[in-house]
Amino acid sequence: MGRMAFTVLLLAALALAQSPLEKLKLALDRLRGPAHEGIYLLQVERPGSVRTYRLKVYTDGRRAHLRVLEPRSEAGQAFLSLGEDLYLYDPRLGRTLRLPPTGRGERFLGSDLTYQDLVGRDLEELFQVAEVQGVLVLSPKPGAPTPYGKVEVYLKEGLIERILFYDQRNQAVRELGLSAYQRLDGAYLPREMALRDLQRPGYRTFLRILEVQVGPVPEGCFNPLYLERGC
Amino acid sequence: MSLLRLAWRNVLRQKRRTALLSLVVVYVTVAVLFMFGFLDGYGESLVEAYAEYVEAPVVVAREVWWQDPDPENGFRELPAVAHPLVQAATPRLSLYALLRSPYRMQGGVVLGVDPQGEKVLSRVPFRVGEGRWLQGPGEVVLGHRLAERLDVRVGERLVVETGKEALGLLVVGLVRSGVGNVDFGGVYLHLEDARKLSGGRVGATYLALKVPRGKEEGVAKALNQVLPEGLRAKAVWELMGPIRADYEGSRLFYVPLLGLFMLLAAVAVVSTTYVSVRERLREFAVAESLGLSPARLAGQVALEAALASGLGLLAGLLLGYALLGYTSTHDVFGPLMRLSVELLPEAGLSEHLYTSSRPIYALYASLLVAVSALLALLFPGRLVLRLDPSRYVKGE
Repeated sequence: MGRMAFTVLLLAALALAQSPLEKLKLALDRLRGPAHEGIYLLQVERPGSVRTYRLKVYTDGRRAHLRVLEPRSEAGQAFLSLGEDLYLYDPRLGRTLRLPPTGRGERFLGSDLTYQDLVGRDLEELFQVAEVQGVLVLSPKPGAPTPYGKVEVYLKEGLIERILFYDQRNQAVRELGLSAYQRLDGAYLPREMALRDLQRPGYRTFLRILEVQVGPVPEGCFNPLYLERGC
Repeated sequence: MSLLRLAWRNVLRQKRRTALLSLVVVYVTVAVLFMFGFLDGYGESLVEAYAEYVEAPVVVAREVWWQDPDPENGFRELPAVAHPLVQAATPRLSLYALLRSPYRMQGGVVLGVDPQGEKVLSRVPFRVGEGRWLQGPGEVVLGHRLAERLDVRVGERLVVETGKEALGLLVVGLVRSGVGNVDFGGVYLHLEDARKLSGGRVGATYLALKVPRGKEEGVAKALNQVLPEGLRAKAVWELMGPIRADYEGSRLFYVPLLGLFMLLAAVAVVSTTYVSVRERLREFAVAESLGLSPARLAGQVALEAALASGLGLLAGLLLGYALLGYTSTHDVFGPLMRLSVELLPEAGLSEHLYTSSRPIYALYASLLVAVSALLALLFPGRLVLRLDPSRYVKGE
């Protein structure tokens, strides 16, 4: 009993000893889940209209391959994120295009989510981290290419629950909420993601994981050549 | 001399008719002066906007860059440019980039400049309305209307991204130049930052040269004869883009139109003279029978037309130059130009337009007098030449 209490105390002490940057890194590591394939539902809400996409997703936690299944008008579009590199296949063009690194900040399928929100690690790379009353407060490194003045990352038991992006006038402009975390194969996966544009009422995007199948993803899924035919 | 006195007396005989006739000439003269003044003023305003704000008096770049303005086609090393009329030269690196604020994203052309060199060449550094001009790397100066569109202020960070690199730059100044391209699309950053954004292999995309006003074409032509192969100099007029075609189109449209105006006014003068001659055929017959030759009488008719239109011309010149004098010193067309800048922000239009006032316009307008006299010789003059004095003297 005494040994167990000691272990718990030691773990707690270790957790307390973690620097804010380490906490952020760990939280980001836990954000993308284990290697899996699944069906995601993307709902883009605009004042007076809602668009819904069904996506097939293959990811190993670092890289991601997304294919649009529905609506039919946009089915066949595919996206591949390999860290810095982004590829897009558009069936109407019949070509695979490589997007520049700037593409990471672009909106995914016209939603409020960016590729960066889905698969990036800019929060770790562009910001310096401090902790204020249990909230990770990120401020841009000098010259960092981010338009935000501050980002607040709210953690709950080491998992990201909410990310609040501020402009440079200390006004919140975007809010990303992550919920329904599920522990899968030793990793965590948020099954629901909601993004609100705080500058424009009625602009919201929801991402829900409908089906998930944990397991290794074929390497071909992360090859741009497979974007057209699928994997 | 007596012929002139005779013609003058005849002009004054029908004062009301002469006044009405002169009014037509006054109207056309003022229109000619004003249109030429306006067109030249518009052209000068365009040249000034492009030479002093948007581009430069003369630009030297590689041929391949002129064909495809990709930074990859720029200079690795800057060329030496020597010409006695080149007063200053500064390198610039222009490249397409994405500008991102927390609220908006917009594509545009950013210009990497040497902050000190730019002060010698361009007026933009002196038109910073808020904040200050560039001092070093890590800074960016924006056109004030672009800053409004992006919703970014002095002291805030703006992300500038290219396909190769991205930088978060501090907005240190907003330019209020009154030139559409600069205010709506101007993005000025340090040459070093532009080099980073372009991938670091290019030193500059072109060399901007300052030369005296009016010498741009000559210097560019002279440079093209001595520049190494693969380099080409272009003068400001060549750098203007589509707005140049608009200006030249305006001239092509208005000059023949003014010609037509003048011809119609001359016809009006001549038709009045024709009526006057018909009324005085008996008088001409008597004069001819007293010894005046038909040619001198026809000359008198032409002189009458010239005098009548000359009176109108004088009044028109006075009025026209007064109008040009006023509009060349007062920004009468400011509201109209501001509207044009709003509608065509990338045309390089200036928010101010002053007309030009040149003595040559008087010569253009006086063509009306010459045409009137010529037509008077051709038509009413012919009446006099064909006159049979014996018939008129007998009263038949």
